[in-house]
Amino acid sequence: MSEAAHTVKSYEEELKNLNANIIKMGSACEEALGKAIQAITTRNSDFAEAVIKDDEKIDKYEALVEQQVVNLIALRQPMAIDLRETVTALKMSSDLERIGDLAKNISKRTLLLNENLPKNLVDSLIRVSSNVQKQLKSTLDAYLERSAPMAVNVWESDEQIDDLTNLCMQEVIKYLKENEKNLEDGTHLLFVTKNIERIGDHTTNIAEQIFYLVKGEYLEGDRPKGTEPIVTGEK
Amino acid sequence: MIKIKAKDVDVFYGKKQALFNISLDIEENQVTALIGPSGCGKSTFLRCLNRMNDVIDICSVKGEILINDFNINDKGCDVVRLREKIGMVFQKPNPFPKTLYENVSYGPTIHGIAQSKQEMDEIVETSLKKAALWEEVKDRLHEPGTGLSGGQQQRLCIARAISVSPEVILMDEPCSALDPIATAQIEELIDGLKKEHTIIIVTHSMAQAARVSQNTGFFHLGQLIEHGSTDKIFKNPDNKKTQDYITGRFG
Repeated sequence: MSEAAHTVKSYEEELKNLNANIIKMGSACEEALGKAIQAITTRNSDFAEAVIKDDEKIDKYEALVEQQVVNLIALRQPMAIDLRETVTALKMSSDLERIGDLAKNISKRTLLLNENLPKNLVDSLIRVSSNVQKQLKSTLDAYLERSAPMAVNVWESDEQIDDLTNLCMQEVIKYLKENEKNLEDGTHLLFVTKNIERIGDHTTNIAEQIFYLVKGEYLEGDRPKGTEPIVTGEK
Repeated sequence: MIKIKAKDVDVFYGKKQALFNISLDIEENQVTALIGPSGCGKSTFLRCLNRMNDVIDICSVKGEILINDFNINDKGCDVVRLREKIGMVFQKPNPFPKTLYENVSYGPTIHGIAQSKQEMDEIVETSLKKAALWEEVKDRLHEPGTGLSGGQQQRLCIARAISVSPEVILMDEPCSALDPIATAQIEELIDGLKKEHTIIIVTHSMAQAARVSQNTGFFHLGQLIEHGSTDKIFKNPDNKKTQDYITGRFG
């Protein structure tokens, strides 16, 4: 944080601590997503199990952040930038926690999938997920840098993820149609694809919160959207 | 609607300049809070609005202060009439060493507002009701005002201020000597009073400024650094100094 230090050092410490926990929580999510994707694309069950197990850590961070935010509001009555830091931390923790859950869900499905997935589906998943991973990283960087332009970049690139998701969905549908035996794997893959896309949406939410944190105003306008989803009918 | 318009106001105590070029619009029927560290000039500015600085020999005021478009710094301004229009409540409750009734009837008496005893009784009752004190004191109107609790005394001072139906009420740290319950009562009162009066309150409590006011002005070293809606000032002030002050970062 580039602001001058507070006169009351313990208050300064509490805000720094909150900020540090969000960063740690963000890295934990980044790691979970990375491992979940690696698990599904390289068929690594150890990674998948690690993601499932480590989700608890992310949940604990959320509870900790919530507790710190409530304490700050009750005991310090933060104002202006401090208020925005506090409120943003609370909202970010909730989106990050969802990202953790979605990564966990991907891993659970990974354990149920057939060992030999068609290469084109794996490639397609890698394309969407690498974009989402990049997006999550950029979001956390925007938070670290308190950068509104970086947040806007993330916000705008969600569109691309939507498009890649739809392409991936189409391939999974094709795979489903090919053979009745593909039904189970195909269904899991649809959910996995959707989960990855949802993670992208959560990072976009976070990007909006970072913009508010830095600027004190809300990002105006509709979120850029890609092609309409074909399968799920909802967005 | 703008009730008070201060234009390029400078105040000097002898050679020392206390306020620099203050221009500030005060909206009618709103509460405006003036905040800033000690010695920043907020009380000095408040005292400009009813020419209270006149009583300090070495104090001189330059610039215009228009109330209802009339410059109160003009030579022709009748200061007694001005202070009838602009009431004031101070930090420490300061009831007169007289009865409750006399405290409230004092203003209407010297300004010749009431025509009869009955009319005066009505003014006293209405003022005490508006100050949310009537129920607590209606049976002891002829007891000394100094016998009330601190919070009651402050409400008595508010009743005294509003007894002459001022258009503007200036409050200089009206709650700093009160407990949280009495403070909440005064704040509730302020909220109600703004329907009929324009209120300007100087406070050191940021939380109080945020709670009671619609507009806030931040003073620092004799300058008005920022003025705007309270909501904006406390969520996203434009000026770095304002932010440093309200977030407790002033060194």
